[in-house]
Amino acid sequence: MASIQADPHGAHPPAEDLSRPYHERYHAAHHFKSRDHEFDSVKMGVWLFLGTEILLFSGMFVAYAIFRMMHPEAFIAGSGKLSVGWGLLNTIVLLLSSYTVAAAVRHAQTNNQKWLRINVLLTFFAGLAFLLIKFVFEYWPKYSEGKLPGKFYSYPYSTSEYEPLWWAIYWGATSIHASHVIIGMGLFAWIWLRARKQHFGPGHYNAVEGVGLYWHIVDIVWIFLFPLLYLIH
Amino acid sequence: MSHETNSHDGHAHGHVIVSLFTLRTILALLLFFTLLTVGAALAEQWIASTFSVVIPQWINVAVAISIATVKTVLVVMFFMQLKYDSPMNTLIFVFTVLTAAFFLGFTALDLGGRNTLERFKAQYAIPGGTGLGGDNIPITTQARNKAIAAGTYDPHHDHHDHHGAQSITNAGYLQPKPEKGSDGNFSRPVKGVTIPGLPGYIAPKDNHGHDDKSEKSEKSPAGH
Repeated sequence: MASIQADPHGAHPPAEDLSRPYHERYHAAHHFKSRDHEFDSVKMGVWLFLGTEILLFSGMFVAYAIFRMMHPEAFIAGSGKLSVGWGLLNTIVLLLSSYTVAAAVRHAQTNNQKWLRINVLLTFFAGLAFLLIKFVFEYWPKYSEGKLPGKFYSYPYSTSEYEPLWWAIYWGATSIHASHVIIGMGLFAWIWLRARKQHFGPGHYNAVEGVGLYWHIVDIVWIFLFPLLYLIH
Repeated sequence: MSHETNSHDGHAHGHVIVSLFTLRTILALLLFFTLLTVGAALAEQWIASTFSVVIPQWINVAVAISIATVKTVLVVMFFMQLKYDSPMNTLIFVFTVLTAAFFLGFTALDLGGRNTLERFKAQYAIPGGTGLGGDNIPITTQARNKAIAAGTYDPHHDHHDHHGAQSITNAGYLQPKPEKGSDGNFSRPVKGVTIPGLPGYIAPKDNHGHDDKSEKSEKSPAGH
């Protein structure tokens, strides 16, 4: 706990008023000068992590570029077998969830506990909706038809010899993205549980901000995946 | 910390609080650009099929990527608040994106030069993968043969081609470019090993006498 901190003058810290919510009582970790200092450091750490995330996905995009330049016909044949409608719906779901996250951060800053919880919960369910759409209407039908990567491919009506390569890119890129959505949902469940205990408010909302930034990057990756996978012709 | 007193509480520590109006405006813009990118893709296909013009593939890519970039800038500046944030975080973001751009750029340089082969280097060319499955039969053909053997193959199958635009594909895109002044033989890798003396060396076809059969008979390790 932050309350157990070395006091430079050797005296015991004053007894904490536990009636005040956690975010008001919150003290920065002892190696930070202040909560602001901690907030800025946490945020920069998150941004550095997001940098590695961008580089992770950039590998996927480079693979996409290479194979598309080598076999454009396979990508067009494969893309034609995706449904633009479900992709569009999932894009809208993710954009709405990006808004609810940004709103959640705002409500934490303004100490609007009720709407903070509602927005975090809405984001969680948007992630769930995204995954349900993905698995029920996209992954499962494609899996059962044999539209799978490489040697697992067994769909007999391909129009391009290199189509298994397209499915490798499709499954690779979307599953890495989907795993990020699953992790994000776990983080929002954690945020929601803490928000119920009034852990976040104007004085302390590092976790809301950090998880929110992560969620926005997941959204941005989808902003690129959607046109590159669904809208090729 | 003992010096951190109540004076901070109740405020967002001087952090910028973005108004709900701004956030909703950004959301509306993002949704608009999403519909725009779908609309642009549909419009391109409509124009291509209605006026039977060939739209180069790079236009499709450029439009989609440009719109996605605008959306990303909106998300990063307002939802992720880089507009109001420490410049250090912007620097981290920009440099990461630049790094990713380097990856893509050098990949493009490499691939762009793949199909042109300098004449003086032609003799060293070693062909890459064949794209074939384990039995030297394309995976797609194997899948089709399996379905035919199982009796589940429908020769009149609807390909679910949502785009219906196979004919406008591939326009001017990575076609093999014969070197200027060459006979065009170097625009494609020659099958087999092309360095004389190595096992599996196949003498280049001279377009005059040899047919496929005589070429195959030369496939044994050549020690001459």
